[in-house]
Amino acid sequence: MPRDDRPERGERSERGGYRKYFAPKRKFCRFCQRDIRGIDYKAVEILKKYIPDRGRITPRRITGTCAFHQRKLALAIKRARLMALLPYVED
Amino acid sequence: MRQYETGFVLSPALSEEETSELVRQLAEIVAQKKGHMVKQDVWGKRRLAFPVKRFQEGVYVFFTYEGAGDVSAELERRFKQTDAVIRFMTVLKDPRDLARRKKKRRSEEAARAGEPAAPDAAAPAEVKEEK
Repeated sequence: MPRDDRPERGERSERGGYRKYFAPKRKFCRFCQRDIRGIDYKAVEILKKYIPDRGRITPRRITGTCAFHQRKLALAIKRARLMALLPYVED
Repeated sequence: MRQYETGFVLSPALSEEETSELVRQLAEIVAQKKGHMVKQDVWGKRRLAFPVKRFQEGVYVFFTYEGAGDVSAELERRFKQTDAVIRFMTVLKDPRDLARRKKKRRSEEAARAGEPAAPDAAAPAEVKEEK
């Protein structure tokens, strides 16, 4: 479900340094893009992309994942951790 | 009938025969409890993300089955008794995910069937001519 009802980038405030000159790259939900409903905890290769270095779940303000899929993703990662497919902590 | 998925990790210390024997025994339980095995997936030996019971690796096995709740209850009772099982988890497969995927596939098929259907009226005549 891609959201297109957001205001245009041009309407953003004039404050802030570089933001004035460089429009941030538009983020989008990669699960919506492929029209995936459920996220399987066994798909470790996909989940790994959302747990960089420290093994923490990346917030959706960074990845651009939509709320629906972020919930599914978080649950899948937690299940995968229980089955020792993904780490709880990594140093 | 609901669809469940039970995943479990077996100790890497078992030999291959012992592993397959144990998997076979557990699969029998599903049949005994009148469950219907949909898919049986053995990943084989895989490195664990962290040590479990001092093991660094484990043999991953996943059962997908349809049945009543007592199938998973019995499986989990057996897992607790068996020392060779180092981790296990049962997940209820979301019926919405299954239904939606089916519906979507059906609508896709309908779309695919619909598109060639229009010129299809002319097509069978051509086939007959070829014969």
